[in-house]
Amino acid sequence: MSLHLQSVQLATGSDDSESQLVFSDGFLVAVLVHLSEMHEKDAGMWFLEAGFGPVSIREQPSFVDLDAAQAWIACRLSESRTN
Amino acid sequence: MSYDVFIVSGSDTGADAWESRALPPAMQGEASMASNIHRSLSPLITKLESIATLSDAERHAVQNLPVRVQALQARQDIVRDGDMASQCCLILEGWACRYKILGEGKRQIFSFHIAGDIPDLQSLHIPLMDHSLATMTQATVAFIPHAAMHSLTLRFPSIAAVLWRDTLVDAAIFREWMACMGRRSAYDHLAHLFCELYLKQEAVGLAGEHRCPLPITQGDLADASGISNVHVNRVLKEMRSNGLITLHGNTLVIQGWDELIRAAEFDETYLHLRKRSA
Repeated sequence: MSLHLQSVQLATGSDDSESQLVFSDGFLVAVLVHLSEMHEKDAGMWFLEAGFGPVSIREQPSFVDLDAAQAWIACRLSESRTN
Repeated sequence: MSYDVFIVSGSDTGADAWESRALPPAMQGEASMASNIHRSLSPLITKLESIATLSDAERHAVQNLPVRVQALQARQDIVRDGDMASQCCLILEGWACRYKILGEGKRQIFSFHIAGDIPDLQSLHIPLMDHSLATMTQATVAFIPHAAMHSLTLRFPSIAAVLWRDTLVDAAIFREWMACMGRRSAYDHLAHLFCELYLKQEAVGLAGEHRCPLPITQGDLADASGISNVHVNRVLKEMRSNGLITLHGNTLVIQGWDELIRAAEFDETYLHLRKRSA
């Protein structure tokens, strides 16, 4: 399983627009958004704006960087394949 | 009939101290507080009279409840999920919330409470707690033994009816929260919550001119609404930029009341505020 990122601008209706689509084997599995300065102490983190399939989660987490986000997403995907 | 009343400060949650009938040594110099108890229960009188008119005898009986007044720190449990309650907690000052901790430490806040509320009133008849009650701010509370509440309601069925009505309104508020969580957007949901919190405080004289205390964090709003912290922050910013609200410290100022009501589709009927409907 390999993850592929694609930069996009996301219309969140806020200053949060810099985003990454996350694909796994060609399928869109998540949308990550880079938190803007309006989030103060959380600014700069990557927020799981949306997740699909095994990456769908009610309590959307934020990650310190894209590597951490991808590691978490890969873990969710591999867990679902194991189960 | 006379009752012992004492003040306890600090972090004690009050589960153990009701047995004591003497002033704690550190507080013996504050015995005069007992003489202030009529004034100290005034939030409950105000709350009850926002629902129904009390006779002199009823007011006197409420004022003479054998309460134990306690000052609590912010973010302190008052009674916990699984506890067998033997007393009710009347909020005299400050804010409290009912909540439950779910798996992975996630917290769902069910309700916010202000002065005059008895958030665990249902424990009078179902003492096994199925959720927790905690302060949100520094607070002063009065613990009322269940036995005293039973006695009061037996002697004054009209007070029992008022308290019953209060729990029914409580249930109506839960229904609105359920509708907000299930069906409203984050923006409309928070608009609805702000309308509710303002009107609840206004009804007991704690707010006016569309300005009210809001001593809670964005994290609390997130836990009460099921909305992520990120979305709460975005919504608040959008409300501010639309000129609906401002937040100064712990004060909510609603500049666009009519617009806020429109956004929330807010119909205050469910609060059953007697003075407004009169």
